[in-house]
Amino acid sequence: MDRRHVLRLAAATTILGGALVGPLAATSVQAQARKILIVASNQDVPNFDPHVASGYSAAAFMRNIYDSLVRVEGNPVKVVPHLAQSWTVSPDGMTYTFKLDPAAKFSDGSPVTANAVVYSFQRLIRLSKGNSWMVAGIIDQNSVTAVDPQTVSIKLVKPFVAFGHVLPWLWVVNPKEVEANKGADDGQTWLRSNVAGSGAFRIKRAEPGNLYEFEKVASPWKQGGGNLTGAIWRIIRETSNQRLALQRGEAHIAVDLTAEDMDALKDKPGVVSIIEPEFRTFSIKMNTQQGPLADLNLRKAISYAFNYKAMEESSSYQQLMVGPLPHGIFGHDPNLAVPTTDLDKAKEFLAKSKSPNGGIKLTAVHVSGLEQQRRFMLVLLDSLKKLNIDLDLKPMVWPDMVASTASPDKVADFFPVYQTANYGDPDNIAFAAYHSSRNGNWQNPVYKSAVVDDLIMRGRAETDEGKRKQIYLDFQKQVVEDAPDIFGVLEKRKLALRADVQGLVFTPVASNAIEFFPLSLK
Amino acid sequence: MLRYTLRRLILLVPVLVGLSLLVFTISNVLPGDPVKLAAGPQATQSEIDSLTRELGMDRSLPVRYWTYVSGLVRGDWGQSVLTRRPVWDDLKIYLPATLELVIAALALAVVVGIPAGLMSAVYANRWPDYLSRVVSLGAISMPRFFLGLILQLVFAMWLGWLPLGGRYPIIDEPPPKLTGFLTIDALASGDGTAFLVALQHLMLPAFAMSLSPLATITRMMRATTLEVLQQDYVLTERALGLSQRLIIFKYVLKNAMSASLTVIGLYVGWLLGGTVLVETVFDWPGVGLYATKAIVTQDFMPVMGVTLAIGTIFILANLVVDLLYGLLNPKVLYR
Repeated sequence: MDRRHVLRLAAATTILGGALVGPLAATSVQAQARKILIVASNQDVPNFDPHVASGYSAAAFMRNIYDSLVRVEGNPVKVVPHLAQSWTVSPDGMTYTFKLDPAAKFSDGSPVTANAVVYSFQRLIRLSKGNSWMVAGIIDQNSVTAVDPQTVSIKLVKPFVAFGHVLPWLWVVNPKEVEANKGADDGQTWLRSNVAGSGAFRIKRAEPGNLYEFEKVASPWKQGGGNLTGAIWRIIRETSNQRLALQRGEAHIAVDLTAEDMDALKDKPGVVSIIEPEFRTFSIKMNTQQGPLADLNLRKAISYAFNYKAMEESSSYQQLMVGPLPHGIFGHDPNLAVPTTDLDKAKEFLAKSKSPNGGIKLTAVHVSGLEQQRRFMLVLLDSLKKLNIDLDLKPMVWPDMVASTASPDKVADFFPVYQTANYGDPDNIAFAAYHSSRNGNWQNPVYKSAVVDDLIMRGRAETDEGKRKQIYLDFQKQVVEDAPDIFGVLEKRKLALRADVQGLVFTPVASNAIEFFPLSLK
Repeated sequence: MLRYTLRRLILLVPVLVGLSLLVFTISNVLPGDPVKLAAGPQATQSEIDSLTRELGMDRSLPVRYWTYVSGLVRGDWGQSVLTRRPVWDDLKIYLPATLELVIAALALAVVVGIPAGLMSAVYANRWPDYLSRVVSLGAISMPRFFLGLILQLVFAMWLGWLPLGGRYPIIDEPPPKLTGFLTIDALASGDGTAFLVALQHLMLPAFAMSLSPLATITRMMRATTLEVLQQDYVLTERALGLSQRLIIFKYVLKNAMSASLTVIGLYVGWLLGGTVLVETVFDWPGVGLYATKAIVTQDFMPVMGVTLAIGTIFILANLVVDLLYGLLNPKVLYR
């Protein structure tokens, strides 16, 4: 190969390289200039149907495209007017009457009427998918009625004080558009990839697995808001890539960052971190029905032997839970007497159990690939050694873990669970994680207690705030007494945003489902 | 040749039936409860039962398989349990992205690997050969995802020459969709800038994916070329005074290509089935990520769809390779 060939090759490579690198336009500059917010998330939007889809990406999608009667904001969480200007609740807490905002209109210009609300709730109940579980058994097909075009009445079938907290996640669709595209499946095929909402944004471009672009409607019925003209929900699966995109200005908000990412972003210019407690709990559930852990004394022994400090130190940005409810939620008792690491006490309880000297082998599962969960389970393994108890730790894929919750004989002795509150009321966690009707589900595979069931149902029905608080205090005390879980940690929400994003107020419910309307870009 | 091609295409049917039967059976005998998972954590038993009926999961395995296969004949590839989206709609989005990446990676591997292997053999035991061997060894040993991260760090973060990930700048509208291959669609719409931008996004992931086949092709090409160079007819051509260039490009290259062609055919399947890591690192919205998510959540229909689509492409790619043998070597007979 002579020198001339080499030089030719080098020149050709340089020219080609230059041509390829040349037209790279800066996404960050363009987005900033056009006031388009870019949110980096690792979760795709599964479906556009507001009565079918669930998950936080779907929540983000819906809260920007659709409206609900009320919305949540602030910290502590408040329920504030949205489509409904005002509302009243009957003294028995069974009837809600909403006055709709006359300015509210769908994106096709038609007004949001009481009939649209009735239609939407009936469709939600009829389909029995998505967020319908939030009101399952609470309202039925006949519960929601139009009093007049601007007034909606909702009569609950069963008392449910937290009703106001679930309403922000029940979306109102434009009946005219859904009926026109109803097909044979109640409009599900059409709404899967089309929208019929009244939100301040509409979908401009959808590329599943890649991005969803929103544009602000020409004249949103809601007044105020930020200066955004649009937003992009960009799927970036690797959290480290979300961090890099944020650093390069290619994303304005990153919603799935790990503790390591947050550490790496410290002191980075132009980046603001939000690390706030959220209602997301981690606990290790014990099989209270089957096997050695059906023994209350053994469960208590383990609860006292567990090394809580090691758990807290195994990751940053988390705090130890005090009892079954998350800090900051209504009724939470921060002074509750919960087990702390105390080996003497652990051995006392062990001596009272059916295995006074240990010498048994227990099983535990964890989600394969979830490193943090594995670390927590290793802390458990180490803690059990002090009681002469062996632990067989099995990684499993999540569907297999879910399937194992079908009956107590299939559930492992220890079953770790992350649980996110979908609404800012203690009922959410109390009912899902401790009511016996939820047995056979991963949030509460086996635990049942008639006393706790009664307290939960009374908490749902009690309209007097003081009395309701007392019910939840009693509930927490009873659950701690029954020791169905090793109460773990409350994971803090880790969000990072560019300093030019303004107007973001943290709310500990669905804080990663970013609402675009109030935000601005400098 | 036409009869041979037709026969191979007909044989595709039993192969795909076997493949579908195998994957369908494995998917359905695995432990796990995808319906319960899809119904959501708070679903009541009646909701789970209703979804089970809606998805036909209450029927026996043979009936479900028959329903699936008869649906395929009608063009219905089933529906994802989790997203409720038709699998075919998803494949139309994800498959072109992966195919574009795989074809680009393979093209890069062929365009660089064959001349590199040839050069390595021609200059055996001299610096081009040493360089090529060292680079090949490094390339074949380097994990793709790690290389991807290094490329991102250097070319996107430090130098700022190329994008971090994705197929196209998210802020811009991509060229009108025709094939789903952004580079082709950009050319078809006559937009040169869009073509270059799409190419920029393709460069790093394609390079990361190409390295292993490139190294294999280089080494394979080197070995076969060295073998061919020892043949009597090459010595005769040299004795006859033919130029080195003529001998290499007219006589040696063709005969040395057959083995590399086999490797290229096999790499189509390897690359199609192994894109997930590169797709994850570069946020490439392809079929690898789609399939992985479906596997982890035991969402069977997308798994079936991806398996059948990749299986079909792999078989067709190898048919093309078999036909190319004939072009390289007229002695190959198609019966």
